[in-house]
Amino acid sequence: MTPIVLTVAWVAFLLGMAWYIAVLDGLWSAAREGRPPRAPLANPLYRCATMLRQQSNLTEAPDLLNWRLAPALYAGLAGTGVALVPFSGASVLADLEVGIVWWGAVEALTVVVVFLHGWSANSQLGLIGAYRYVAIGLPVMLISMFVLIAAALPAESLAVPKIIESQRELWNVIRQPLGLPLFLLLGLSLSFRGPFNYADSADIAGGTAAEVSGAPRLVWEFARLAMLTAVATVAASVFLGGYLGPWLPGPVWLVLKTAAVLLALVGLSHQLARISPSRMMTLIWTVLLPLSFVHLVWAGVLAL
Amino acid sequence: MNVTDIAFWIFAAIAVVSGWRVFCTDSMVRASFLLMLSFIAVGLIMVLLNAPYLGIATVFMMAVEMMVMALFMVMYMMNPAGLNPMMMVHQHRFSIAAGVFVFAALTGLIVVTRFSSNPVAPDAEVVVGLGKELLGDSMLIFETAGVTLLATMVASVILSSRSGRFGEADTGAVPPPLEPGGEPAGRQPEQASGHAHHHH
Repeated sequence: MTPIVLTVAWVAFLLGMAWYIAVLDGLWSAAREGRPPRAPLANPLYRCATMLRQQSNLTEAPDLLNWRLAPALYAGLAGTGVALVPFSGASVLADLEVGIVWWGAVEALTVVVVFLHGWSANSQLGLIGAYRYVAIGLPVMLISMFVLIAAALPAESLAVPKIIESQRELWNVIRQPLGLPLFLLLGLSLSFRGPFNYADSADIAGGTAAEVSGAPRLVWEFARLAMLTAVATVAASVFLGGYLGPWLPGPVWLVLKTAAVLLALVGLSHQLARISPSRMMTLIWTVLLPLSFVHLVWAGVLAL
Repeated sequence: MNVTDIAFWIFAAIAVVSGWRVFCTDSMVRASFLLMLSFIAVGLIMVLLNAPYLGIATVFMMAVEMMVMALFMVMYMMNPAGLNPMMMVHQHRFSIAAGVFVFAALTGLIVVTRFSSNPVAPDAEVVVGLGKELLGDSMLIFETAGVTLLATMVASVILSSRSGRFGEADTGAVPPPLEPGGEPAGRQPEQASGHAHHHH
């Protein structure tokens, strides 16, 4: 694929997957509430149009620069995450030798951007969401670092394409069974959904997005879906062999695997309840982080 | 002037300007993230210099570090949310003198030093080379020690944070007694088997 085709594919992938998640969300909510879904395929687009026609809210004395930049930066970070992943053996937008390290930087900068989004509105609920998000987001990021280091071990490389190539014989999801479940928790945390929605949840009236409406709100909601897409794409590549697969061409396999991971993520975010932040902190530090240590030792011993 | 040169000058300008703005802003949160922006620009310059691991690791570490720093500064400075305007510089005379001296010394070093002009081949495996150079044959020992140290830190925080000033964290807060060895201060919580009190 030429760079132009790759760029178009990258944009189409991000938009298409965001739409797919929004449709799944609508269907899942309808099924849970036992009502027939209304225009499930077009509903996300109607919501986009509604948000575009709304006025952009302004609070008293916000940090306007950071407030307006945060949604765009969040979407941009998600975009660079997807760009790391090859659609097939020869077509990758950002062929980084240290792709996994850049993904780590994306995770860290996401925490910063979400914090700034809540902080800069100069409103209490946004600030509470921002603080809660940092407290939960940072340790979850630590877990994902160990999981990704473990995935880099059999490939002996930090580049995403080489990690995919190392799975020709056996996918990492079988070789390192704890990796994918732990990484899916990161997906819920990075886009604050379901059990990990400590930033924008209903108990604080929308949290960091409580004061945001109109076009900035649209960008923010799109960025959340794009970040979930990025996590699913990286998960499909690092644990499920990415574009590798029989009969079908590589890009189709990547889309199918990403769609399957997204289905699991949407299901988890609708089915699991959220616990109080302090309990979640205890769970992360005393159970999940030690599990990621065990996972790393397991992967290390296997790689030796 | 090629694309790399243009990128270098843009990153250099961002690093210098945001570094300067750190001292002009009136909020700890803004100061932290301006400093982060400055470091990110320096990290991207390192990527341009064909040191991808060091450059991107700088971005990664600075993002986490500045986030934690901003949060703890706001927590300890009693400035609600860090949104109240406050003076970010102090000890003016000493700082100006130290700044001028350090700038002059570093600039002098740059002028005096003879930098080697020994370009690395574009296809050299710099990340692997860096790992071997830093850790050599001790890679396994360092990795094991790193994870062990982190596990030790987490365990020690969990063990030490259980017993607090107001009792053990998992049994609920009990205020200290007003007199040594006395009953806890404040209203006593009702006992679960509360009926016993009414009968004596």
